[in-house]
Amino acid sequence: MKERLTMRTAWTIRGCRKGVLLLLLMHVLLGGLVAVAAEPDTIVMALNRDQDNMDPHLHFQRTGIIMNINMYDSLLHKNPQLAYEPSLATAWKTIDDTTWEFTLRQGVKFHNGDPFTAEDVQFSFERVLDPATKSPQYGNIRAIKTVKIVDTHTVQLITDKPFPLLLERVVFFPIIPKKHFTQVGAQAFAESAPAGTGPYKFVEWKRDQYLKLERFAEHWRGAAPVKHLVIRVIPETSTQVAELKTGGVDIIRNLAPDLIPDLKAHANTYVSTAPILRTHYLAFDMREPPFDKKEVRQAANYAVDRKAIVDKLMGGLGLVLPTVVHPMAFGHDATVEGYQYDPKKARELLKQAGFPNGTDITIHAGVSEAFFRQIAEAIAEMFTEVGLRTNLKLWDPGPAWDKFFRGEGKATHGYYGTWGYYSTFDADAILHPLYHTEPGGWVGKWYARVQGLDALIEAARSTLDKDKRLSTYATVQRLLKDEAPSLFLFAQHDMLGINKRLDYAARGDEWIWLYDAKLRK
Amino acid sequence: MIAVIVRRLLRLVVVCLGISLITFLLLHLSGDPVAMILPEATEADRAVLRETLGLNRPFLAQYGAFLGRALQGDFGQSFFHRTPALPLVFERMPTTILLTVFAMVLAIGLAIPAGILTAVKRYSIIDHLVTLLVLLGQSMPVFWTGIMLMLLFAVAWNLLPASGWDTWASTVLPAITLGTFQAPLFLRISRSAMLEVLGLDYVRTARAKGLHEWVVIIKHALKNAAIPIVTVIGLQFGVLLGGAVVTETVFAIPGTGRLIIRAIGQLDFPVVQAGVMTLSLIIVLTNFLVDLLYLWLNPQVRIS
Repeated sequence: MKERLTMRTAWTIRGCRKGVLLLLLMHVLLGGLVAVAAEPDTIVMALNRDQDNMDPHLHFQRTGIIMNINMYDSLLHKNPQLAYEPSLATAWKTIDDTTWEFTLRQGVKFHNGDPFTAEDVQFSFERVLDPATKSPQYGNIRAIKTVKIVDTHTVQLITDKPFPLLLERVVFFPIIPKKHFTQVGAQAFAESAPAGTGPYKFVEWKRDQYLKLERFAEHWRGAAPVKHLVIRVIPETSTQVAELKTGGVDIIRNLAPDLIPDLKAHANTYVSTAPILRTHYLAFDMREPPFDKKEVRQAANYAVDRKAIVDKLMGGLGLVLPTVVHPMAFGHDATVEGYQYDPKKARELLKQAGFPNGTDITIHAGVSEAFFRQIAEAIAEMFTEVGLRTNLKLWDPGPAWDKFFRGEGKATHGYYGTWGYYSTFDADAILHPLYHTEPGGWVGKWYARVQGLDALIEAARSTLDKDKRLSTYATVQRLLKDEAPSLFLFAQHDMLGINKRLDYAARGDEWIWLYDAKLRK
Repeated sequence: MIAVIVRRLLRLVVVCLGISLITFLLLHLSGDPVAMILPEATEADRAVLRETLGLNRPFLAQYGAFLGRALQGDFGQSFFHRTPALPLVFERMPTTILLTVFAMVLAIGLAIPAGILTAVKRYSIIDHLVTLLVLLGQSMPVFWTGIMLMLLFAVAWNLLPASGWDTWASTVLPAITLGTFQAPLFLRISRSAMLEVLGLDYVRTARAKGLHEWVVIIKHALKNAAIPIVTVIGLQFGVLLGGAVVTETVFAIPGTGRLIIRAIGQLDFPVVQAGVMTLSLIIVLTNFLVDLLYLWLNPQVRIS
């Protein structure tokens, strides 16, 4: 017995030694093969999903926009401070209330060598405006009725009525080469032969795997500082973080707040954040009890401790908002004060509304980022605390999307979600989708029923007179505060994780504009 | 024998038709893709698109048209990729098949010898140890194993790439992750199958003839024990083809599972249909092959 035991021990030790040898062997074999060290003169960026195709007009997704901006120029650009800058247009002015004239940059070339002219601008806009193209960007520019070529380097965009958002809309509107597109056809352009005038040109695309770009030496700004740009598709956040730490990837976005301390402390990485327009809100269904009563909606607004949510769940990276209008957006009125956290007042208001014992409600939440779930749960707790006993239902973005687009907006009582303004820095970009009741809008058509609000939103969006717009929006924000058609929450930050070899800073428009990125020596 | 095969082939066609009908029905119940394609359009624009896509026609007419085209290999254009759906699926198949094969080879290579060993050395320390490992292997969810392996081999030791699918080194971790999840099942099956066979009279006879113990085990016992093992392996192969989606997501592998899951989220009908039909066809065919193997392995089936 004893002998057998000794033998077994010996066998085990031998086994261990074998294991160690095997590991060493693996180390030698793999160590040489794996290119964990970062490639020279290359930026690798990870995105959680791929673009459906390479055609910049056939999608409207954030990840697609981030890919496109590095390959295509638009008429205008925004600097890191978010002020307009010339891009393909060097000057712009309004001729009358509905006519905008753009002077185009001379000597610009597309990646394939074609010269850039007014015809390309006209072609790009008309293509998206044509219903046959089925472009998801159509809604953004549908105010444009005519694109008129004045001469080879001047175009006019003519809108059906005064359209104050026009400049915002042409900051991301990729211009594509008419001649090249017609030659290669839509299919090839969308898969193997995309071309723009942007700082990086197309090299190779493997769907759902990577997009390889190379700097365009003849770009009108001058060649980009870094030669290669690789965009890898990595759906899982923890995998992105692992790649970032090992140097397989240089930049990742959409960090969850709880990852930030880890990446700040790590030797190879840092975090860059910037306030963005993405606004969290909870839309009340004003058509039905209990939220048809103003007191109940106000009670809900008093019930939630926004600051605690931002501090505890967002790592402090959030801006509490009095209504849904962001300070970075045109039209914000700084004199409107938000609801303070006051559970006692909330209970009183509920009593006034005829609910001395509280009431049961159901709230639906669209959880497109994992941390939205915690926020929704915190809100539900705080509601329940004052007597709005909340039954919370969580939805993946796909099914949530479907539920709120079809039929009668069936979510009972309320819907928690976020709105990113499509990175349009104007109050209209959130007021219209959230509160205008016209069919085809966002949740406004289902939930908002505020007397007179539609007319105010209409008035502010159909004039170019800035003072008039500002005063209308001031009225709107006061009305919103009082009527409380939503639970007003906060706006979040863009959160980037970056490898220390790369120098880059997050922007307020969620763009990742890698012309501004530099590799540290 | 031929009659058996023909009967099974016929059943196969019926199963495929059934799958196509169920997929089609479920998809059409799940929502309106037009709202996903044109999120900011007016109702009139959407009606036009619904018309072009044929989505306003009665359900059975739509299904008939779909079936007619599908039989010719045409599943239509993807709503979002704007390219034919079937090639999209085929583009991904090699990756998924490769991943599945790697994982299966790994799992089989580990599990069957271990299964035989634990059956032969029943109740020994090795048997107990392996049982413990099986318990561990089965209770670890795939995404957890994947991330742990990544943290160890990529982040802590820098031995292997954390994700991707371009070098052979990048295939190691996903194959281990998926293999670890499969191995316990194969191990349990091979252990119990071997145990059952080892107690039979013919094995005793073989031993009595004075054959070497390992000849008895490998040549005589294993062939009979192989029937349930082959069945389970065949079934699992099919499961993994579509079910490797978690591994694909964790390691950023462009596989079929990920394509289909995303298409479901977007309500991209053509891609879902092409994907589901391709996978079901492969699964059904694998099962058919398993049946054939069965005939070869088990003379009783052949005779009856």
